[in-house]
Amino acid sequence: MSSITKEKSQPAQRFDVGKVEDFPVGKFRIVQCEGRQIGIIRMDDGDVHAVLNRCPHKGAPVCKGIVGGTWPPSAVGELGFERDGYVLTCPWHGFEFDLSTGAELFQERPMRLRKYRATIEGGSVFILL
Amino acid sequence: MTMADTKVADKSDADAALKVIDCDVHPTVRGGLSAVYPYMPKAWSRRFEQKKASVQSVALTTKYQHPNGAVVREDARDENGNVGGSDPRVVVSEHIKPCNIDFALLNCLQAASLCAALATTDESIILASAFNDFFLEEWLPADRRLRYALTVASLDPQAGAAEIRRIGRHPQVAAVGLPLINVLMGNRYWWPIYEAACDFGLPIYVHPSGADSIYQGGPMACGGIPDSYFERYVTLCQIAESNVNSLVCCGTFEKFPGLKVMFAELGFTWLLPLLWRMDRTWRQLRHETPWVKKSPIDYVHDHIRFTTQPLDEPGNPRHLGQLIEMMGADHLCFSSDYPHWDNDMPSQALQMLNPGDRQKILYGNAEKILRLD
Repeated sequence: MSSITKEKSQPAQRFDVGKVEDFPVGKFRIVQCEGRQIGIIRMDDGDVHAVLNRCPHKGAPVCKGIVGGTWPPSAVGELGFERDGYVLTCPWHGFEFDLSTGAELFQERPMRLRKYRATIEGGSVFILL
Repeated sequence: MTMADTKVADKSDADAALKVIDCDVHPTVRGGLSAVYPYMPKAWSRRFEQKKASVQSVALTTKYQHPNGAVVREDARDENGNVGGSDPRVVVSEHIKPCNIDFALLNCLQAASLCAALATTDESIILASAFNDFFLEEWLPADRRLRYALTVASLDPQAGAAEIRRIGRHPQVAAVGLPLINVLMGNRYWWPIYEAACDFGLPIYVHPSGADSIYQGGPMACGGIPDSYFERYVTLCQIAESNVNSLVCCGTFEKFPGLKVMFAELGFTWLLPLLWRMDRTWRQLRHETPWVKKSPIDYVHDHIRFTTQPLDEPGNPRHLGQLIEMMGADHLCFSSDYPHWDNDMPSQALQMLNPGDRQKILYGNAEKILRLD
C-alpha cells in the first residue's frame, strides 16, 4: 500500500495516486489517500475505477475480494456467465457489486460501493475525493 | 412461563358469521385395506388378502405410539362406537355443521403412509388409486362441503402424474396429497407430479404421513432418530423447513410458475427465521443458484401456505399474534386436524388477531390456493 500526498498544483480534491503501469489490469491495488483506503483497478478496456475499500454491508476490505464475472439469473438448470472482470465479490459475505456502477447486482434495493471518479492523464492515475 | 388457557370458547355471533375452510380433516377407512379391495384389480386384492395386509400394518411402531393409545379422539366415536372420522355423515354432523365449516379438505393418512414407505412401489400405485376411488365413491357424494386431497404414489412420479390426470378433474378434488419420501421437494424427481398438478390447477398438499422420522425411505427430521412420540412430534416441522428451502433453492417456482404448495400440520412459527436466513444467504450466494431470481421471501409468499394446527401456545397469546403479524397473515390457512387429539377448533383459534387477518386465515387464504370449483 502506498501513501498519497495532495498535489498542490491541482484542484483541492484531485490526487495523483501513481503511474499507470503501477496498477495492473484486472486487479485492485490499494492506496492510502486522505486517510482513506482506496482500491484502484484498471480494466482491460482502458478505464480505471476507484473504490473505497469498505464494503457497505459490514465494512469488509471489499477490494481484496474476487474480481471476476457473475452467473446472471437463468432458467432452472442453465448457467450463463457475464461481466467478466467487472464484478467485485466481497471476501467476507459474498455480496456482488458491479464495478462500473458500484451497485450490488440483481437487487431491487441494491447497496452501493463508494466510488470515486478516476482518470488517467499523462501516464498517471488521478482520483477525485 | 405458563401455557395459554386453551378452554373452548363459546361461539359468539361474530364467529358465527365467519367463513371457514378446514384444511385438514382426516377420514379413516374403517377396516383398512380390505375396504378398498373392491377398488383394485382382483389380482391385487387377492395378493393383499393372501399376505394378510391390513390396517394394522399402518400402525406406528411401539415407541412412536401415542402415549394415550391413539391419535384419533376417543370422544369422536359415533353412537355405534365406530372410530372417529370413519363415516362421512358423522364428520358432517359432528364437525362440519357445528363448526360452520364451508369446506373441509379430506386427507387420508392410511393411503399416505402406504405410499410413502410401507408398501412396494407397485403396491403403492394400486393402493393410491384404490383409496382415491373409495373416497370419490363413498365419501364425496355425502356432502358438497367435503373436498379431497387425492393421494399420489410418491415412489413413481410418472404414475403419480397419471393418477392426477385420471381423477384430477373431479369437482370435489381440491389438492394433490404428496406423501413425502427422502427426496426433497425441489428435486426434479417430482417434476412430473408438479406439471400435472399445475395442468389441473391443483396445489400440492404435504402432511406428515406417519412414516416420517420412523421408516427408512420416509423423510427424516434432523440429527438422528427420536426416541418417543413426543420427541418425534416436536421435530416434524424440520421436514417442512428443509422442503421449503429445497423448493426455493432448486428454482421450482421458476420452473412451475403456477405451482402452489400447502404444508399441513408442520407448524409455522419457525418460518420467519427461516425466511430471514434464506433471504440473507440468497443475497450472499445468489450466483450458485441463479435460477432463484428473487428473494426467497417472495417465492414463499407467492407460492406456499402453512396450516395452523397445532397452534403453538405461548404464555401470552398476543405473542403468537405478534409473530403472525411479523410474518404476514397471508401465509396461513386454518386447519382443525379433526378427529385427532391435538386439534384446534375455528371458534377458539387465533382470537388474538384482528378480524380481517383472522378471516383471511380461516377462509380467504385457503380459498385462493385450493381448487374449490
